[in-house]
Amino acid sequence: MTPEVERLERLAERLRAVEPYMPPPGAKIRGWNLVLAAVEQSTRARSRVHPVRRLVLATVAAAALLVVGAVAASADSLPDSVFYPLKGVLENARGALTFGASDQLAFHLELANTRMTEAQAMFARHRVDLADQALSALDDQLNDAALVIQAEKESDPAVGAAMENRLRQAISTHDAQLAGLQAQVTNPTAVNAIMQARDRAAQALQTAGKPANGKGNSSPSPNGQGSGPANSPHPTPKH
Amino acid sequence: MRPLGKAASDDDRPLIERVRKGDQDAVRALYERYFDRIYNYVYARLGRAEDAEDLAIDTMTRSLTRLDLFQDQGVAFSSWVYRIAHNATIDHYRRQGRVKLVSLEHAPALQSADPSELAVEQLSNQDLHTAIRDLTDEQQQVLILRFFQDLTAAQVASIMGKTVGAVQALQHRALGSLERALQGRAVN
Repeated sequence: MTPEVERLERLAERLRAVEPYMPPPGAKIRGWNLVLAAVEQSTRARSRVHPVRRLVLATVAAAALLVVGAVAASADSLPDSVFYPLKGVLENARGALTFGASDQLAFHLELANTRMTEAQAMFARHRVDLADQALSALDDQLNDAALVIQAEKESDPAVGAAMENRLRQAISTHDAQLAGLQAQVTNPTAVNAIMQARDRAAQALQTAGKPANGKGNSSPSPNGQGSGPANSPHPTPKH
Repeated sequence: MRPLGKAASDDDRPLIERVRKGDQDAVRALYERYFDRIYNYVYARLGRAEDAEDLAIDTMTRSLTRLDLFQDQGVAFSSWVYRIAHNATIDHYRRQGRVKLVSLEHAPALQSADPSELAVEQLSNQDLHTAIRDLTDEQQQVLILRFFQDLTAAQVASIMGKTVGAVQALQHRALGSLERALQGRAVN
């Protein structure tokens, strides 16, 4: 250790030995009273703001929860649910974001399946009016799918044919399901609605098979007298 | 010998959380933990009991009512409190027109004095305090924090916003300057 370092170390030790200045007791008490008053004032000032902030936060949180809950609830909602209109909005939004013939076909077929499920549920709840609406919507989806196929056939006949085959299989499945429903229901209105739905599905398949300039003949035939798929004859309604 | 209580550390956090929740006992605990230290620090810097009392109270008030600002500082609460005390001291100096801008290291050396003849043990506390107050701001800060407040070099580095190495070098220079200042007083 050099002499300089030794001297400085002694000086440091001397500094460590210096008695600290302590505040007089009165100063500490006075300080505490002032600090406490300032802290209380600060707390009051914050609490005056808090109710407003809390209200805003609570409102935002409630709105967010409501939206998320409504979206979640609407996903599986049925036509007799208050959330059902939201389901339609979300489906339209999805449709607007679906590009490409194959994806659009898949989208329409998926919605057709959804409408079929809804129709079955409404028949089970004896809501024939809502079931009829679901079936109409089902056929709208099938018709939209047919129009997509028509357009695709013009640009790529091979792909269009494959897509037509997918539509045919879907309609066949739906027709089997509708036939099963038709066998279960006894209400004439319900039977009529099912028959019309099967007719319109068959016409959608015909639309898909026609060239694009031949479209427009997709309106349902009255009273279930339209031409259905060859492999899905309409059964006679029960009376 | 050192009735200043525990050295500043990171275990203030539980108390700080309680203060934020409005716990008055936690406010009191932090006040008790730091008031004496801050008073001692400010007194060592200013040398006047009345000023030290006012600045210590002001420092504690700012520390305990602005904890929302502390959250964003990224340093220990103790470092934050000392920084507030330091800034309050600098503001006080400015108001009094006593800002020291020239380091004693750069002042003319006292060639006539022989440092080895300085009888350190015989120096009074008052001599030491008075001589320290003649040093530069940073030198005063490092000596007071290291030797009067018993803080580690790392804690001082955090307070002063320097590296530990820089604090150690500053401490060495400060002791040298203090030695020369004391020697100069002895000669005069």
